[in-house]
Formats: sequence, C-alpha cells, structure tokens
Amino acid sequence: MPVVDIDTDELRRLASTEESDDELKAQLFGLGLEFEGESDDGALQFEFAPDRLDRLSVEGVARSLRYQHGTDRGVYLPTMNDPEWTIAVDSSVPDERPYVTGAVVRGLDLTDEGLESLIQLQEKLHATMGRGRAKGAIGIHDLTLMKGESLASDREKSITYRGIDPDGDRFVPLDGETDATPATVLETHPTGTQYADLLAGMDRYPAIYDDIGLFSFPPVINGQRTEVTTDSRDLFVELTGTNQWTIDKMCTIICYALDARGGRVERVTVEYPDGTELDRPDCSVTEKTINHDRIESVLGVSFSPEEVIDYLERAGLDATHEEGAYEVAVPPYRVDVLHPIDLVDDIGRAHGFNDLEPRYPDVSTIGGTHDRTQLEDALRETLVGLGFEDMLNFHLSNVEDCFERMGLEPSAESVVGGGRPATIVEPYSEEYTIVRTWALPSLLTVLENNTHRRYPQALSEIGLAASIDEAVETKVAERQTVAGVLASTDASYEDAKGRLQAIATAFGVELSTPATEHPSFIDGRTATIEFDGEPAGVVGELHPRVLVEHDLELPVVGFEFDLAALSA
Amino acid sequence: MQLPETQATVLESASASAPTPIETIATDSEEPTAAVTRAAFELEDHGLITITESTTDSVNLTEEGETYRRDGLPECRLYRAAATAGADADSVPMGDLIQAADLGGPAVDIALSNFARKGYGRIESGAVSIDPDADPDADPEAEALTALAAGESSDDLPIESLERRGLIERESSTDRSVQLTDAGVTAMMEGVDIADTVGQVTPELLTSGEFESVEFTPYNVAADAEQPPRGGKHVLRRISDRVKRVLVGMGFEEMDGPHVDADFWINDALFMPQDHPARTHWDRFALAEPDRIDELPEALVTAVENAHRNGVGAESEGYHSPWDEEFARALALRGHTTSLSMRYLSGHQVGELEPPQKYFSVEKVYRNDTLDATHLLEFFQIEGWVMAENLSVRDLMGTFTAFYERFGITDVQFKPHYNPYTEPSFELFGRHPTTGELIEIGNSGLFRPEVLEPLGVECDVMAWGLALERLAMLMTGAEDIRDLHGTLADLDFLRSTEVTH
Repeated sequence: MPVVDIDTDELRRLASTEESDDELKAQLFGLGLEFEGESDDGALQFEFAPDRLDRLSVEGVARSLRYQHGTDRGVYLPTMNDPEWTIAVDSSVPDERPYVTGAVVRGLDLTDEGLESLIQLQEKLHATMGRGRAKGAIGIHDLTLMKGESLASDREKSITYRGIDPDGDRFVPLDGETDATPATVLETHPTGTQYADLLAGMDRYPAIYDDIGLFSFPPVINGQRTEVTTDSRDLFVELTGTNQWTIDKMCTIICYALDARGGRVERVTVEYPDGTELDRPDCSVTEKTINHDRIESVLGVSFSPEEVIDYLERAGLDATHEEGAYEVAVPPYRVDVLHPIDLVDDIGRAHGFNDLEPRYPDVSTIGGTHDRTQLEDALRETLVGLGFEDMLNFHLSNVEDCFERMGLEPSAESVVGGGRPATIVEPYSEEYTIVRTWALPSLLTVLENNTHRRYPQALSEIGLAASIDEAVETKVAERQTVAGVLASTDASYEDAKGRLQAIATAFGVELSTPATEHPSFIDGRTATIEFDGEPAGVVGELHPRVLVEHDLELPVVGFEFDLAALSA
Repeated sequence: MQLPETQATVLESASASAPTPIETIATDSEEPTAAVTRAAFELEDHGLITITESTTDSVNLTEEGETYRRDGLPECRLYRAAATAGADADSVPMGDLIQAADLGGPAVDIALSNFARKGYGRIESGAVSIDPDADPDADPEAEALTALAAGESSDDLPIESLERRGLIERESSTDRSVQLTDAGVTAMMEGVDIADTVGQVTPELLTSGEFESVEFTPYNVAADAEQPPRGGKHVLRRISDRVKRVLVGMGFEEMDGPHVDADFWINDALFMPQDHPARTHWDRFALAEPDRIDELPEALVTAVENAHRNGVGAESEGYHSPWDEEFARALALRGHTTSLSMRYLSGHQVGELEPPQKYFSVEKVYRNDTLDATHLLEFFQIEGWVMAENLSVRDLMGTFTAFYERFGITDVQFKPHYNPYTEPSFELFGRHPTTGELIEIGNSGLFRPEVLEPLGVECDVMAWGLALERLAMLMTGAEDIRDLHGTLADLDFLRSTEVTH
C-alpha cells in the first residue's frame, strides 16, 4: 500500500485550516489515510489504498481535505496557457518505450518543503502507476537551463525524444562526476545500476535532447545541467513510458500539485512521427452517467437528487440530474474511475458508510457441505475414534523429505507416493519447493520433531497430495489422501491392519491386503491396501532406514490410501 | 450368613446380655472407630443389633488449672507468704510478699482479687494483713482441683466458680454400645462367615449377587491417574468446522476446486490487471512444471480480455495495462480461493447458476513468503459470496454482523477500502472479546461489473475473504502460528489445547 509523507504545517497552509495534528489525523482516517508513524525528518506518514493516487502528495491530500471541509466544491480545472514548447518524437525512438508527454509550469516559488514534496510525489508515482518506472517515468527540469530554439527560428521551441546508441552520446548525470554514455551510466552510476534491468535487451536507449544536447536519459536519470533547485521558477516536466494514458495521468497529477503551489501550467505539443499531435497535459473532464436507482440499490438508502448532487460535489465532481440519471463530470487527476460504479462509492463515502444500518439480506437458500467434506469428516471422526491425533501439515514439501528420506526414487510412478511433483518457480524457501505427492513423509517429520513427547504417538492426516497428470484440466491430479502412523515400542503390522479393518467396516468396503514391496517399508511386512478389490494404498512397517533417517528409535507402522476409494 | 469383615467383628463382639462399647471393639479389633461405628449402624439397619448411646460429661483441668493444682492457687500462696512474714499481726508491704510468693504478671491481680473474695485478709494502702483464722490448706477450690485431677467427682465441688476462673473445661461425649437382638443371636447361632473385600467387579460377583455382601477395597480417589492418549481433531480443523457450520446455517453451499490453477481463474477473471504488483510480485507461487493450462473456455477468455482492455458497457474504460493470454494460461498455486468463486460464478464448475445463490469455502491458499511466527506459506481462507438481485452494501454489512456474532465479535467496523475486483469495498475490523485488540478480520465488497459481466452474471454478487488462522490464534491464544499448522507442530501444544465448542 502506498504511503504519503505529510508535513502538517504545509497541509494546514494548503488546506486553509488551523486544525491540530490529531484533528487532521482523524479527518484523514475518514478519507482512508491511516496514520502509520513519523518519518525520520518528522513528517507524518499515512498509508492508503492504491486507488486515489492523486493523494500521493501533500497538495493532493490538501485538495481532498478542502472538499471534505466544504472549502471547495465541484470540479476544479487549472487555468492553462497556450503551448510554446513542442516535444518532437523522432522515428528512432525505441519500440519498447514509444510514448512521451509533458508540461511546462511557470512562476513557481519553491520552498525547501515544496521541492521536497515534488520529489516525493515523483518517486511515489514511479513506485505506483509507473510500476517502478517501467510503465511511466518522470523527469523534471529547470526550464531556464534548457535551450529550445532551433537555428531555423521560425519554429516553436522544441525538444526531441529519440532513441540513441547506448554508447552514442555523453552527458553528465545527476550526482555524477564526469560525462558518460548511457551504457556507462547503467554500469557505474548507482541509479543507473538500479534501473539497468528496464533497458535490458534494447538496441537503442531512450534519450531526450534540447538544442544543447542530451539532458534526460529516461527512465533512468536526468542530466545535471537542468537540475531543479529552490531557485527554479519555471519547470519542464517530461514523461516517457509504455502507455500514453498512464503517463498523461501521472503528468496531470504533477500539474495539479504544482498548480496548488501557485504555478501556472502551460501546455506543450507532442508530435509523433506519424503526424499525430497531442495537446498536453490533458486537463479535461470525463463524463459518466449513473442511474439514481442504481445508487439507491447499491447503497441500500433512499436519496433525493439534491442529496446525490451535493455528495458528488463534495467529492470534487460536478453533476446534473435528468430523468432519473446523473451526468457526472470527473476531473482528470482521478485515475480510479473506470466505470460509473466507482462514482457510487464516492457518494457512499460522502454520505458516510459507517452511518449505514446493517441489514440481514432477505436471500433464502439451502446450505450444505460438499460431498468430499462429508466423506472427509466421517473418516476423520472414525480415525479420532480409533485414537489418532489429527494432523494438519503443509501441502508444500521438498524432494528430500518427500522422496529421498523415504527411500523412494523421485518419480517412481509405480509405487504409492511416487509421481512427478508439481514444482515451484523460484521458491523463497528450500524447504518448500514442490507440492507433496503423499502425506506419510509429513507424518514422519512430525514424529521426528516430537521424539521428546510422550509415546505412543498415533497420528493421522487427511489432506492434499498431487502429481503431474497431463490428462487433467490443470495438468495436476489433486487428491485427498489419508495417512496414519503408529509409533510405540511394540507397534507392529497388525496394529495398522486392525485399524484399516475397522475403517473398512465403518465405510462398508471389503478390505484385502495382498503382499507387496515398497522401498519405504520392510519387505514381508508390506501390503497393498485394496478396497473392494481396487488398489487404494499401502500399509506396512516402516523400514529401519527410514526410521533412522528420521531419528526415530522405535518401530513405526503406517498406511496411506486415497480418500475417494472409500466412497466407491 | 455372610458379612463384611468389620460387621462380622462387631456382631461377634456383641453380647445379648450386656452392652459392649464400640470403643472397646475398635481397640480390640484394631479397626478405626469410624469404621466400626459405620459397621454397627449397618448391622442395626439389618436388625441384628441395637445401639445404645450414653452421654458422658467429663471435667478436665485447663493448663492454668493444672499449674495451680501443682503450685497452689495464687491467693493461697499470697496468704502463706504473708503468714510467714507475720502479717497476722502487722500488715506487710505487698511488694515483699509478691516476691516471696513468687507471683508474677496476671497472677498478682488474680491473687489479690481472690484473696479478698475468700476473706483471707485485707489489703490497704499497698499493705497486706491476713485473717489468722483462714486456712488456705482447706481451700475448697484447691481441693477441687486436686480431686478433679485424680478423676474424682462430686456434686459438692465448686465447679461453677472454677469454670468461671477458666481453670477447668467441661466436655460431653457420646459413647455407643451394641447389644445383640434376637435376630442377631439367631444369626450368630447359624454362623457368620466373613466376606472378602474385593478390588474388582467381576462377572461372577454380578451374576451370583455376591456384590450385595462384599466390601470394595477403597481407593485413593483424590490421586492423579495415568492419562490415556487422546485422539482428537486438529484445533484448526475444529475451528474450520465451526466456521463451516455457521455458514451452512446461514444457507451457504460449499465449493471445491483445484489448488493449482491458471492465472486466468486466479486473477484475470477477477479483473486483476496483469501488471498489478500482486501478480508480478515474488510472493506468487508460479509453477515451473507444469506451467501452462490448455483448457480454458474460449468465449470467457475473450470476454475477460475485453473487460481488461475496454471495460464493459459504454462508459467503462478498462485498464491501460497490457493483457497477454499466455500469462492468463500460466499455472500457479492459488493465492486466494476467489479462483473457486470465479469457476462457480462462470458456470464452469457446476453449470449456470440462477440467483439466489450463496457459496463458501474454507480452503488452503498459498503465498511465496518467509515462514515466521505470524506468516505461513499456506493458510486457510474463508471465502464466501451471495448472488442475488439488488444487493446493497447494507446487506453485506448485515451478513458480516450476523456471521461474526457467532464468534463473539459484536462490533464489526467497516472501513471503506479499495480492491481491483470489488466496488464498493470494505476492510472489516472487530474488537476481540477477550484481548480487546482491534484486528482486521476480513476484506469484502460487491463484485465490479467488469468481473460479473464477462462471467455472464446479470445480478449482484457480494463477496469476502478472510484468514482462518488469525481467528484461530485469537481463539486458542497461540503465539506462534507454526505450533498450530505444519510439520513443526508441537504434539504437547496440540494435546493440551482446549476443545472449541
């Protein structure tokens, strides 16, 4: 979840309020911003759900607060000047990162706090909408340090977004000591190494030029020449990315923040090689229609049209009512309104969800458990009646536990417990790399971890086991398996067989146990479990090798069979 | 006749002609008086003996009384000291006498008050003079102490005054004696056999009726016994069962489905954008082998892709994110059981569903994370949804309120929240009845049109999910979740966990 750092003095100034920090905390909680603690430099940190990304800076939070206080109502659109600058996209631009957008903001008087807030907003947008700069990356420059007039000065001022050879040109990156090529920056500059992965495999690297030369190497780093300081009054904001909508929205959010700090936004023209021209930033509203009935149905409350319009305006939206529906204007910084249903949520929040009276729905249905659950419950009850302690082990295991320590060859498909296991990509823990193919290894591990506990130990488990089967929809055959172990100084085959007989009787199936061999068990004391003549599992005395491997110093008998075999 | 040993002893000791004290029988037979008395009453119940009771009053010297008997009463000692000092003629200063009489502490006051009461002399201005005619050697109280100590008693003794002075105690005791009745004599003539005490109830004892006349060896019933091993359901399973019972009681039907599933069912159908951090994050349990599903319902895949790219309906936008069918076909261990909800709602699992419907599951989900005291790689998610016409957030709230009340959580709070797949969405918080802690107990909402329309659902669906282990930790007091779940389970912990009911 995103976190926004807020200097409460700045917030009070921007929201035109004199409330205390505690009052502000309470109000922000109402907006969905939860107080998390203080940052190192004393700012209050608030966590919020990643829908309202326009609240990633103190300016955006202040705007929401002004609406909540009623200081502002309805849609606000910044006044913008006509474009002087053009971003020309050269046909050399990398296919992997074809989009660009931007804006000019003039007349700023940036304080330390204001600059800090701008840098924070940039980083937070990178982390969220920008998907770690992959989808969208922002560069902000001091406009007065840029030179845009072409030699043929009948043109407007312009910068160019193009693709260049990784070693094709040199520039001095921010916090860099000397000039370097983009490829060198990726290898040697700390920020370069951090984002090098984003350019992996690209023949041409993205770069932005003004008349002087390369000044921005998106999505990695800006050049030092155009660095923004508190003395900067006019800024150039450029964004590149893999999706036009995403970078346009990120740009809009930055423009709204700078507008709130007294800057005057000036549009720029984006020219693509195919002749497409965009007028940016796009500060127009989006229209959505929502029916009055739908609002009442979703919120379960009756409203008058005036109330609905009031709530919408308090949410920073404009609305008109006609024939049972509302035409709603949504401001451009809202990235979360994908569908009219999102406006119902805004109305609910403005009304106050916590003021709604819960009601138990009048929806009459007949409940019940799944057949598998009923079978499992009946067997678990039988096992418990036979004195077993019911276990609940992880379904995830590893090759060593599941096979090797049981004396089983991995993927020995012909024996119980064998089969190709479903395998995890890049497991976080070496202990959990496969889905177990049987459950006896889990029970043996529990015995191993409890040798200091009282004996006898009679453990059973009904749980998932799985192995690869191309014939199944998901390519993995999942089954509920039943396993039991008896560990005591006088445990013998008969103890396990006797209990299986009791289970077979309880479930009305015929048990037979023809002799078999299994690498985990002692030859001559191992049998196939057959229910009604069908092989279902294995029973026997665990092989001493397996016992010693699990640090056990007494005999253990065990069995494992398919749950489904009992329902045949 | 067969009688238990103690009863036989009493019967044999009793006589028809004269009462025999129970105390005597107990002493002779070396049986506890209480056991002999109990046997006697049982014999009386059978009409074999009569019991007579007599009450004996006895008088015993207190510690103080015994001291005075031995050393003399304080007033007598004062008199003798005074006589020796010649107080029959001239009065003698008291200080001298107290020393001579070896009186100290409270004995001085006792001596002075009784000296005067008995007329042994006078005390004036701290000087003592005596009546020469008095005779402390014939003091009735002193003589009485001597007599009582010797076991003599007489109505003439000054019992009352001695008791008032706290020198004697009067006690009464009941003595019981037994005497044979005619029936008892007959029984004796016919012969009495002693029945053995028995340790075990046997079939013979029962079928022969012998139990009527035997005595059972008493046990130390207060002592701890050896505790048998106890089979039992796993504590988490019991809690899961309880959750299931509550949901079934609310009309919910259980879902079942694959743990390994396509990302399509786990995420795409749920309108989770493919570049959502939760889908690219390393905590997703993607499979290396097998890695791709072949079977997906084609029409549904197209509808879901459209919803992601263009939204549903005229004013819906979809995501501005890439969508790749191959990613949708990737196999993974499900990160939530909402994959089951998608399979059911789409009609893929059990055929088309007509409203109203309520479904739930309490099943495992998987997160590729580090294992620690509060995080597991796999845990149980309680998933549920209601499909009906015109559901509102108030219905959602009412359903939760009813559900959590069953677990003692009565003040569920709803915090507006954001999920990619529900709108409106709420996180649920509740204050635990015993710990008072405010805990997140669930996440919920109404499925978005972008989720429902591709699935072909034309009414509302409200849904939620929560982690069972959180509830279990609060209900059992377990501090390390690994004690509860997995192969590190401590059998002692599981064996000592209280059952839930």
